[in-house]
Amino acid sequence: MAETANAPVRRSIPRTTTRKKKKSQLPIAMIVLLLMIAAGILLSAFKDSSTGMFLMFGGVFGFILQKSRFCFTASLRDPCITGSTSLTKAVLVAFALTTIGFTAIKYNAFASGQAIPGMSYVQPISLATVAGGVMFGVGMVIAGGCASGTLMRVGEGFHMQVLALVFFVIGSLWGAKDMGWWNLNVIADSPRVFLPDVFGWLGAVVIQLLIIGCLYVAADLWERKKLGIKDEE
Amino acid sequence: MAEYELDCMGEACPLPLMKAEKKIKDLASGDVLIVHIDHSCAMKNVPEWARSQGHNVEVDEVDDGEWDVIIEKA
Repeated sequence: MAETANAPVRRSIPRTTTRKKKKSQLPIAMIVLLLMIAAGILLSAFKDSSTGMFLMFGGVFGFILQKSRFCFTASLRDPCITGSTSLTKAVLVAFALTTIGFTAIKYNAFASGQAIPGMSYVQPISLATVAGGVMFGVGMVIAGGCASGTLMRVGEGFHMQVLALVFFVIGSLWGAKDMGWWNLNVIADSPRVFLPDVFGWLGAVVIQLLIIGCLYVAADLWERKKLGIKDEE
Repeated sequence: MAEYELDCMGEACPLPLMKAEKKIKDLASGDVLIVHIDHSCAMKNVPEWARSQGHNVEVDEVDDGEWDVIIEKA
């Protein structure tokens, strides 16, 4: 059975350890919030308003990520290690929503005759992606976080992620240095596919959402199989 | 009704869950396993896994960033 009422757990040994009085962190939170607002205003005034907005987006993303315990690393690692796919399904939902959102933005630009934003992110599909994916996957499981997860946990105060961040920077610099080789030898001859060019705007959205839907169902079946079997023992 | 403790302080994401999974097999029905964790990911995924297996779960925050996950085996 998947759902159980959360009856209070009976304990044979009652809790006798006294709780340490927790020091409130609210004053620090207020100060940090004010600093972020000040930084945002200064950035908007002296650089441009979009940088200030990036700061705001970053802060909000971090807050949501931390409170919801959303984790890209767990979404791909848990199905293999514990069989749980709740985070995998959450990531798929996020992909579906961003597919709709970005298509709306791009189509709006296209329909009004403006240049379509973000086309530089339509990258060729090649073995470089596979190689990078494998390396990143191994790294993120060992490090306990991907890019967003590492930054979020640095904010939470985990020492391991501070170390991960240092090597994240080193790795990115190394990657940037070698990008020329990859471009020349692997990426240059690979096809660059923009789905709306192939299937049309509506077709591309429908097909992508269908694929995401199939993956969602597959994730659900996987979880039932991996965790459900234990119930019958 | 025996009570077992599992110290997973300072351990990263999947380890507390994997250790709890292994340890819960040693328990008889009605036994209680207390997992001490200080990783916030584990604070979410250990209770979720335990509930999906049908056990009663309670999470107690003992200190800033430290939790006791109390699992009663179904």
